[in-house]
Amino acid sequence: MNGLGLRTLLSKEVRRFLRVPGQTVLSPLISTSLYFVVFGVSLGGRMEQVTGQPYLPFIVPGLVFLGMANNAFLNSSSSLFIMKIQGTVVDLLVAPLGAGEILLGFVGGAMVRGLIVGLLTWGVALLFTPLQLVHPGATLAFLVGTAYVFSVLGLIAAVWAEKFEQINFFPTFVMLPLTFLGGVFYSVKQLPEPWHTVSLFNPMVYMVEGLRYGMLGSSVFPPLLGGALLAALALLATLVTYALLARGYKLKQ
Amino acid sequence: MRYTAPAPVAAPVLQVEKLVKRYRDVVALDGVSLQIGAGEIFALLGPNGAGKTTLIGAVCGLVKKTSGRIHLFGTDLDVDALGPRFQVGLVPQEVNFDPFFTVTESLRIQLGYYGRLPDEARIAEVLEALDLTAKANAQTRALSGGMKRRLLIAKALVHRPKLVFLDEPTAGVDVELRRDLWTYVRQLRAQGTTVVLTTHYLEEAEELADRVGIINEGRLLLVEDKRALLQRMGKKRLVVSFERPVARLPEAFTGGSVLSEDGKGLVYTERPGHPRAAEVLHALYASGLPVQEVETRASKLEDVLIEVLHGREVAP
Ligand SMILES: Nc1ncnc2c1ncn2[C@@H]1O[C@H](COP(=O)(O)OP(=O)(O)O)[C@@H](O)[C@H]1O
Ligand SMILES: [Mg+2]
Repeated sequence: MNGLGLRTLLSKEVRRFLRVPGQTVLSPLISTSLYFVVFGVSLGGRMEQVTGQPYLPFIVPGLVFLGMANNAFLNSSSSLFIMKIQGTVVDLLVAPLGAGEILLGFVGGAMVRGLIVGLLTWGVALLFTPLQLVHPGATLAFLVGTAYVFSVLGLIAAVWAEKFEQINFFPTFVMLPLTFLGGVFYSVKQLPEPWHTVSLFNPMVYMVEGLRYGMLGSSVFPPLLGGALLAALALLATLVTYALLARGYKLKQ
Repeated sequence: MRYTAPAPVAAPVLQVEKLVKRYRDVVALDGVSLQIGAGEIFALLGPNGAGKTTLIGAVCGLVKKTSGRIHLFGTDLDVDALGPRFQVGLVPQEVNFDPFFTVTESLRIQLGYYGRLPDEARIAEVLEALDLTAKANAQTRALSGGMKRRLLIAKALVHRPKLVFLDEPTAGVDVELRRDLWTYVRQLRAQGTTVVLTTHYLEEAEELADRVGIINEGRLLLVEDKRALLQRMGKKRLVVSFERPVARLPEAFTGGSVLSEDGKGLVYTERPGHPRAAEVLHALYASGLPVQEVETRASKLEDVLIEVLHGREVAP
């Protein structure tokens, strides 16, 4: 294990996104804040009549999830992809860094960005609604687990993509629909059939509900179900990514 | 033409055996075997597409070999692909730069990748050697093309590798950088660093190399000590001009001499089994021909390269 090499890559990854904070932290923060204003403050009253529970606190976990997942994914995917396009990936491949170091370096950097955006989103929420943190342990586990899974997925996308168009494929065609249908803005309980059943196949639903359990204290599904799913996804994504990096898939000729 | 097998090298730093790399329909390396000894400067020569970059890539971890064996510092890369690479530096053929960082930061990152703690003194030394000190805090994207290449070289050397690959390091750079680099490569050798370089400028190989290898179409055609090679294959040529036209050459000059059409010049090419150039010159003066000027030309690596590549084409 090249410990210093890993630490260097990790700190390089963090400094990279901190070099352009407007793009990597501020801009996602503004867009999630707009959701609060639009959905929470302006439509919140109506929604409460439907659900019978306060709406603003309800959407906080989902929006934290959204900011975190998107930014974790974007960080690892854009960072490695830019290195491929610029040719600097050669420096990594030639250096004595193994698949493990490369994976942890990129994923660590991406998690930091995901967590920063997630926590700042939560901070913005506190301007509108009081802090709720019923199960801190579960909250932390879901935050870290989600950030990890999306960071690794971002890395897979970057390894696979050869064109800019392809790097946007997953966020646009997979993540965006799944998050909007993932119970961020409503409870899947309220959905009529067949949408209720369809939703149960969306893994994001369980992650959002898990975070909701941690923050608000109750959720549609038992939190262990979300936890198990997250752990399984993390394991699977890690194995796939490690194998891709070890083989040099689309990185080595 | 037949070539002798290269003599085994004492204490090889790099040992390549029957290395094959096949892309879909291209055989980029066709069974290359090669040894590089500690402390030597080895020049790999060959036309575009010969397989030079692929060979370097296979050693440095950029290319997945199809078959064959590579030992770096005595370690089989199939057994440990990473350990030996702490001691290797590569200047890739294509210029790259990380637009997010400055020159100094890039070098610090490079040190870290190779398991070294930040070493400002070493960074300053490398910057100085490559004439980059004034650009130490410049953003890499603001560097000129030549400066980017200097940084590329600095990055490959900052961790004090024992073996350095320079893949066309002076392609498209100004004379100044070329000269600086030559000086620096000699300095590296003086410190015991092994250097493998590919180049289009045969002058560069002629200046720097201890040994040369000639590669074409993925096959290593020849590996030899540069001086021995020039002596063995190089030909001395005598170019004589006369004061007034000479109608006919005396008997003694018939083999290997060519009189120009106007009779005012003569070219003699030294060949094995024929008189040496010096003897011919002596005979020229003795014969009383109206010699005006005499010029001798030793052949250069370029002539040898052309001959080897050409010889291969006509061989069955
Ligand atoms: N990624 C690749 N895919 C397919 N063919 C390649 C690839 N890289 C190199 N080649 C081919 O392999 C051969 C050797 O290329 P290269 O090692 O770059 O030659 P050189 O460095 O001597 O100019 C060439 O025919 C080249 O077209
Ligand atoms: Mg090349």
